[in-house]
Amino acid sequence: MASPSLAAAAERLAVLLSAGAPAPVRDPDGPDLEFEAVVTPRPLARGAAPPEVWAVDGGQATVADARSVQLLVTRAARARFLGGECVLEDEGQLRAWLVGCGEERVAAASLGLGVAADAAVDVNLLRDAGEWEAVARSVEEASAGAYVLVDGDLRPDLRIPGERVATLLAGAAERGVIVLSVTKHSSLARGGAPLLVQLELEASAHFGDRALWWAPLARTKPASGFDVQVVAARLDPDARFAFRVDLPGWLDPEPVLGALSALCDDAAFPGYPYPLTVADRLAACPSWLRHDVRLDLDDHLDVAGVPLEVRERAFADRHRLMERA
Amino acid sequence: MNAPGAGSRGRLFGKNVLEAVFRASPDEDLFLGELLVGVDDATGRRYLFRVVDVTYGSEHREPGWAERVAGTLLSDDARGEAGGHRLHEQSRRTYRVATCRCLGYLTPDGADFRKPKSLPTQFSRVVSPEPADFDFLRTRMGDLPVGRLRSGETTVDFEVGIPGTSLATHVGVFATTGMGKSNLVKVLAAGVMQRQGGYGLLVVDPHGEYRGELARHPWASDRLRTYANRRLPNTSALKIGLGELAVDDLRTAYEWSRPQEEALFELERHYRADGLSWLLEFSHVDDLAGFRDVELNGRVALNTLQVVHRRACRIVSLPCIATDASVSVGAAVLRDLREGKVVLLDVGGLGSTEEVLVASHLTRRVLDEWSAVYLEDDEAHKRLPVVAVVLEEAQRVLSANKDRESNVFPRVAREGRKFNVGLCAVTQQPKLLDGELLSQFNTFFVLGLADEKDRTILRSSSKQDISALGPEIQTLMPGECLVANLEAPFAVPAKVHLYADVVRACPPPPARRPLAPPNVAAFVD
Repeated sequence: MASPSLAAAAERLAVLLSAGAPAPVRDPDGPDLEFEAVVTPRPLARGAAPPEVWAVDGGQATVADARSVQLLVTRAARARFLGGECVLEDEGQLRAWLVGCGEERVAAASLGLGVAADAAVDVNLLRDAGEWEAVARSVEEASAGAYVLVDGDLRPDLRIPGERVATLLAGAAERGVIVLSVTKHSSLARGGAPLLVQLELEASAHFGDRALWWAPLARTKPASGFDVQVVAARLDPDARFAFRVDLPGWLDPEPVLGALSALCDDAAFPGYPYPLTVADRLAACPSWLRHDVRLDLDDHLDVAGVPLEVRERAFADRHRLMERA
Repeated sequence: MNAPGAGSRGRLFGKNVLEAVFRASPDEDLFLGELLVGVDDATGRRYLFRVVDVTYGSEHREPGWAERVAGTLLSDDARGEAGGHRLHEQSRRTYRVATCRCLGYLTPDGADFRKPKSLPTQFSRVVSPEPADFDFLRTRMGDLPVGRLRSGETTVDFEVGIPGTSLATHVGVFATTGMGKSNLVKVLAAGVMQRQGGYGLLVVDPHGEYRGELARHPWASDRLRTYANRRLPNTSALKIGLGELAVDDLRTAYEWSRPQEEALFELERHYRADGLSWLLEFSHVDDLAGFRDVELNGRVALNTLQVVHRRACRIVSLPCIATDASVSVGAAVLRDLREGKVVLLDVGGLGSTEEVLVASHLTRRVLDEWSAVYLEDDEAHKRLPVVAVVLEEAQRVLSANKDRESNVFPRVAREGRKFNVGLCAVTQQPKLLDGELLSQFNTFFVLGLADEKDRTILRSSSKQDISALGPEIQTLMPGECLVANLEAPFAVPAKVHLYADVVRACPPPPARRPLAPPNVAAFVD
């Protein structure tokens, strides 16, 4: 058996990246999507910005890692914009979780989502659960005509039952609230090549470098239990990238994307909805926050009588020790 | 009543005891040199800050964030689509960072100002100063007003000046052309006139620029005396007796080679006359070669003698040089200065070297007179006014290569303060002054200086720390200055009065005391 070489890997990668339009579109992470046979970008006109916008994003951090067991924190942040002004910045409550040695089952149970007993539980699941709660609260607080933007895609983590999201989207529709999501780095592929990269190049050649465009990509299969359509869109003339956008299946995408585009005119992040950048900032768990939580944890362990030496040894980063050698 | 935090212009967040850095909103208009106050609510102290730099800050930590934003906006401009992108929430995402020098702090009762020795509480408010914040300065601004306190671009209603006594410890006026040196000298002279004899000023005016202006001062008829090199109305003729001039004056004014100096001494020995009175006779010598061979026994080279002769001819032909010692104004100038007047020497028409010759002679006389009184009669010396010699282009006589025993000006710089005789050196090239001499100057008026080397030498010699004020000095507008002396606890920023305004605002001079009517009866037996 030939040993894997860089040359061989590069050769194969070149084949994948060069896959052309005839190749089928697929999503390695989304088995319940039904893709368009032919993906064709079409022009998009920028519309008026929605008067009310909510943005939701989640963040997480590992506070203490004993490898056998880890202490994680997650939070889901929200921002609300009215008439273009940010009127609410909610960092979200910090939630602490133990993962490992079976402790994750306790965490999963506490979510109340009916996560399967054999499903793996990790920080993504824990963070996503909080995000969907924040989305639900935002929908409840939003006025009719508001947009609720979510970082990621509308198809939740597969471990979270789809009905929950379906119910949420339906409730939003009843209230006249539009929930949609934006994925910055999508795994959508066409013949192994990143789909959005190919679409960016094709659209640029077709419409010009500064064109706004969108392309319908997929819909959820009827059997999935919820109705979501997936599109690709370039939302600003100066956007470096196009993004995947998920919308409820019953919406006409073009006017919604036109309105979304009006939120993407920030000079620092052209092409990405500005409210989501605010939510991203709020949700981030920077090192100082991890440090603060770690100090709090130490206080609790002190009270619990865990010797300092035990803690230090348990949570020492032994990789660093090796790197010093 | 204002809510807590109202009027806040920033919040302090960093640096050390001597420096402060605060964050301000992106639209906070901060100026170099602006004076601000850090309000330490915890201790009750008010820290006085001077802004020395202002930069941009951003909440975004990614490298190149600001450049990227600017690039996007610039692209919009280039396409004629300005406004195509905007920076959402700019007031939250961007800000300004001001770096300040901590000048000191006011004690909680406001009575005392102390040098900085402690950190203000972090995140203290930074506010604009209140009038009371400068009260501590009032007693240190002296009796020679020069202008008003300046905070950045704002002029504060607070008089800035120097004590007249500091004239004895030498004053430097430094600025590039057009920055207001002459106006400042006139304002200083006006202040001296209005002190009614407390101080004297000998102003050497090479361009005749002061005569008309100073004469317009309401007190000029009593307190200004002008001597002119040429016939001018309301002036006395400037005459210096040859016999009063010394070889050292010649050596100060002219560049002499070593053989030429030897020739001077040789001639002085040969003629055995008072001062330089021999210059007249020597200038009449027609046969220099014969004179050299016969009178000087060939001890001086002919070409050397020719140089001295040419200069002698030039000096004796000057209108301000008198061969008759009785018409010399030296004594009159001393008398005027003793009476605390401003003595203006209008030497327009004289060459630069001859101007120095006159200035050297009169300065020497002043120094000799004041030092003699100091040595002979201490009480009489105390009654003498402090005098200063104002010299334009001072680098001509105070540069390192001019610091010789014969040069009276370095002597004044080193010894003058003891006798209450000072120099007021005006120059646009302080870098050419001798560093050691400059360190003798206790008062600096620093106006706009473009040359970094000029600013560097002032930094090293100033009696207050102006090391961080380079950008401020560089950006001073005409009439704006920093006053650094030992009286104020920091270099005080000022906007110098316009001399015309000083004249306009000046009260009339006090009425002369009427003479008592003659008591005729006393003469009648």
